[in-house]
Amino acid sequence: MNLTDLQALEERYLMRTYKRAPVEFVRGEGALLWDSEGREYLDFLGGISVCSVGHCNPDVVEAVREQAGRLMHTSNLFFTEPMVRLAERLSESSLGGRVFFSNSGTEANECAIKIARKHAHRRGVEEPEIVSFDKDFHGRTYGALAATPRLAADPDLGPMLPGFRAVPFDDGDALREAVGERTAAVLIEPIQGESGIYPLSDETLLAARQACDEVGALLVFDEIQTGVGRTGSLWAYEQTPVRPDVLTSAKALGGGMPIGACVTSPAAAEVLEPGDHGSTFAGGPVACAAALAVLGIVDDPTLLRRVREQGAGLRDALLALDGVREVRGRGLMLGVGLVGGIDAAALGAELLANGLVVNVPEPGTLRLLPPLTVEADQIDRAVGAIGSALLSYAANQ
Amino acid sequence: MSKKNPSEPRALTTSTAERLAAIVEAAERAAAQVIDDAEEQARRQLQEASVRADRIVAERLRALADELDPRPAPVSRPESHLRPVETGEGERAPQRRSSSAGARILATQMAVSGSSRGEIEQRLRSDFDIEDTSEILDAILGPEDQP
Repeated sequence: MNLTDLQALEERYLMRTYKRAPVEFVRGEGALLWDSEGREYLDFLGGISVCSVGHCNPDVVEAVREQAGRLMHTSNLFFTEPMVRLAERLSESSLGGRVFFSNSGTEANECAIKIARKHAHRRGVEEPEIVSFDKDFHGRTYGALAATPRLAADPDLGPMLPGFRAVPFDDGDALREAVGERTAAVLIEPIQGESGIYPLSDETLLAARQACDEVGALLVFDEIQTGVGRTGSLWAYEQTPVRPDVLTSAKALGGGMPIGACVTSPAAAEVLEPGDHGSTFAGGPVACAAALAVLGIVDDPTLLRRVREQGAGLRDALLALDGVREVRGRGLMLGVGLVGGIDAAALGAELLANGLVVNVPEPGTLRLLPPLTVEADQIDRAVGAIGSALLSYAANQ
Repeated sequence: MSKKNPSEPRALTTSTAERLAAIVEAAERAAAQVIDDAEEQARRQLQEASVRADRIVAERLRALADELDPRPAPVSRPESHLRPVETGEGERAPQRRSSSAGARILATQMAVSGSSRGEIEQRLRSDFDIEDTSEILDAILGPEDQP
């Protein structure tokens, strides 16, 4: 079956929720991908920050193989060791409270929303409200969608879940104004990912922490894209002046296996009680075994320092290119702001044709999320490819 | 009356020697087992102590962060502050606010996550406008080694 056949079947059978690039990937290793025609690609998207330990990382593959051959599923009505060990590892490496597992990031945020609302009800709040920032992306299930202002504004998807409001991005004063007695939580991405890599300032994060503390609301960090080493620390909040009460994780956590997690501080650990929440598949032994293997690789000071150093080097190299206006982000989570007028989508398509996979989250921005295990020469190749594409673009204008 | 077999004493001696050798061998095996068990137990205890130490360090760091970031008791407000929020993209005043507690939490969390003294110093300077970072860095990382 070739690409044309796949496209025909997609056209007939798949819902039209994605506009796929005309490439069929069939194999991956480290930061490299190969398509069905044998062409090699350098992957600087990493499956949207999922393949942080590289494609088909041997440790993850072995953990999945071993666990899949022994026990794949039991439900949450019984104990399985990988789930409990992973919960311990996530809690001890971050906020120190309890963990609820899910199958995805949006589900992890649903759990956080539920915790926030119940926590607020316990404070006597009748109509709790969750505050987030414009351009935040928290997911596509209805709770998370309601906290994603850009998507929640679509009238065709309404009515939205009530009890959500948004304030202008990185506006600490607006956030303070918005947070009040009704506020259950401030739900934010410390670095906005899907909107184009926009970090929140330390001042705004401090304002969020202070505003939450004043009213007894929870500060929830959506670390679905920023977590698991992406920014050069295991969790992005570790490089900020605040600690959240709840954090959510997914994407890279499973190294390609679907898993999400909602982790609380001790103060928020007892909010959910038996019957409040659940999932059939979540915390399954195979996904948890994969996640333990991922954390075994990523929770390593040497690797995390390398991420910070390589990220700084990549940033400097990109900033030296003609056509690059700014580089945003931290570690190996970078948004490349292009000089006005450059069509990022056209540039992204040319890069793909030349063997470099990147993402264009908004006009004028390239998003780079390479595996954390990317090699120095692969970074040089990517910078070279972007520089050449920019030169080519300029020459054709 | 039976005559004593002259070879019997030697047989008895040999048998005793064999038994003694067997006893010594068994004792040596037991001793080796005891040593192995002791080593295994020591390894386990060391591992458990290491895990406990990691947890104590993590708990102390969390406690330190709590001290640096005291959570005030929720305050009651006379009226709701839920006024409509201005959503325009107009000019915003710079929001830079110096926060000693925030700077210390940042430094603590970065230190815990493995950031170097230089990396932390850079963030304190750029994000908190702190010229002399030595007080915070020394408090969290210990005094810098003198050349």
